[in-house]
Amino acid sequence: MITATTPKPLLTLSGVCVFYGNFRAIDQIDIAVGAGEIVSIIGANGAGKTTLLKAIIGQADRVEGRICFAGAEILGSTTAAIVRSGIMLVPEGRRLFPSLTVEENLQLGWEVGRRGQIGFDDVFRLFPVLREQRRQRAGWLSGGQQQMVALGRALLANPRLLLCDEISLGLAPQVVAELYALIPAIKARGIGILIVEQDLERSLSVADRFYCLLEGRVSLAGRPAEVTHETVIRHYFGL
Amino acid sequence: MLVPWINQLLQGILLGGLYTMFATGLSLSAGVMRFVNIAHGDFIVLACFALLVLTTALGLNPVVATLIVLPFAFLFGFGLQRFLLQRVVGQNVLLVILVTFGLSIIIENGLLEGFGADTRKVSGGWLETATVALGQGINVGLFQVFTFIAAVALVAVLDLLLYRTGIGAKIRAVSDDVAAADLIGLSSGRIYAVAMGISFVTVGIAAGFMSIWTNFDPASGPTRLLIAFEVVVLGGLGSLWGSLAGGIVLGIAQSIGGQWDITWQMLAGHIIFLLVLAVRPQGLFPRY
Repeated sequence: MITATTPKPLLTLSGVCVFYGNFRAIDQIDIAVGAGEIVSIIGANGAGKTTLLKAIIGQADRVEGRICFAGAEILGSTTAAIVRSGIMLVPEGRRLFPSLTVEENLQLGWEVGRRGQIGFDDVFRLFPVLREQRRQRAGWLSGGQQQMVALGRALLANPRLLLCDEISLGLAPQVVAELYALIPAIKARGIGILIVEQDLERSLSVADRFYCLLEGRVSLAGRPAEVTHETVIRHYFGL
Repeated sequence: MLVPWINQLLQGILLGGLYTMFATGLSLSAGVMRFVNIAHGDFIVLACFALLVLTTALGLNPVVATLIVLPFAFLFGFGLQRFLLQRVVGQNVLLVILVTFGLSIIIENGLLEGFGADTRKVSGGWLETATVALGQGINVGLFQVFTFIAAVALVAVLDLLLYRTGIGAKIRAVSDDVAAADLIGLSSGRIYAVAMGISFVTVGIAAGFMSIWTNFDPASGPTRLLIAFEVVVLGGLGSLWGSLAGGIVLGIAQSIGGQWDITWQMLAGHIIFLLVLAVRPQGLFPRY
């Protein structure tokens, strides 16, 4: 198993298994994410990427192994406690509260999180369009704007680690490019980012390191620059 | 010739205030939390008996007694949701119905055991009999007017609470998408419990007015539930101001029906309910 060196290990998963009933969706995974580091989880549909994020955030049914965040064991903690300790998820499909306004959606992120320097002004600076739309119901926004609200909501929780699940899903390439262009600014604040993405190129282009999942196991890990496209594809599909 | 009908119309509108109070708590649990508390009416009756004890055994003023009951109602609703109902929320809807139906049976029989089957009433003193003469032989009861004003105020306060406060936003968020709420660390279990606590405060308030307005006995609950149900559906699920409209429609239908032929009092209400359901199944003021 490859354990790449990280600047400062913020999150470490050791020997983590996740079960759905008797089915082992994640099998003995070791993963580390450092502060201010972007780590990509790639893998085909059903490889266990979303399950992994759910295990970290405390929303998986049965998890074994160890999950340490900022020096403390978080496996078994409630999601609310994990979020307060500084991990926030941008869920797959955005999962905004459609009948609430943009501002109310953002406010919820602020309330569940920990106190920190990121405030509403920072989010509006990052996504100026949200300031204009802040009284609009979230359900009426375009997909791209909804993704901005989802990201903004997560940032307002002042996370030390941001989990991004398929932020490109269902969005126009142009919008995806705009969103990904903001990732370095988030990293620059010293926030660790764990990105789950099916879009290989996109995901590897921003990542410092990556892990490739195949049927619940890490099939390849390393730095994007150190591996060839063919190697990644081989481990992606298990060829 | 017309005066009795106008009197009944006014009676009906004011009765609608009481019905709105029955319905607001149910509207919260059904519209916001998406489940039906079959024991809602029985909890109102249970609170009525609590008020009866406080006013007779301790000799408290009904208003004071109601104010004492309210915080306990909140805690009771909070605990009931947290420790019992939360276990069945999100599973088969039949489970919620079965559990609350069981509660209904427990409350009815418990009250029967403790208080007997006699019809009871809380005395409202002079307020009960005071009337306001509007001229031309048209009179309304002062207490009924107070009840109606209180119902409007209750709806207004709940509306503000839901749409202008932080906890209100959380309740609406959980109502929108429970799983998403859990994913971002909004503990839906706690928020459901707070919402149920608020629902039970409305139960306490409704009991405060109902216990003076009308007679009750241990078996009065299901009728109150039926009324609350019809009001919520008439008004539109989850719409608080809709509940006020629904309450007034039902109150007028019963009052006018009763004036025409006393045996038609309840029936007229049910017929109007079924008619609206047939023509406008989403209710008068649907939330979406």
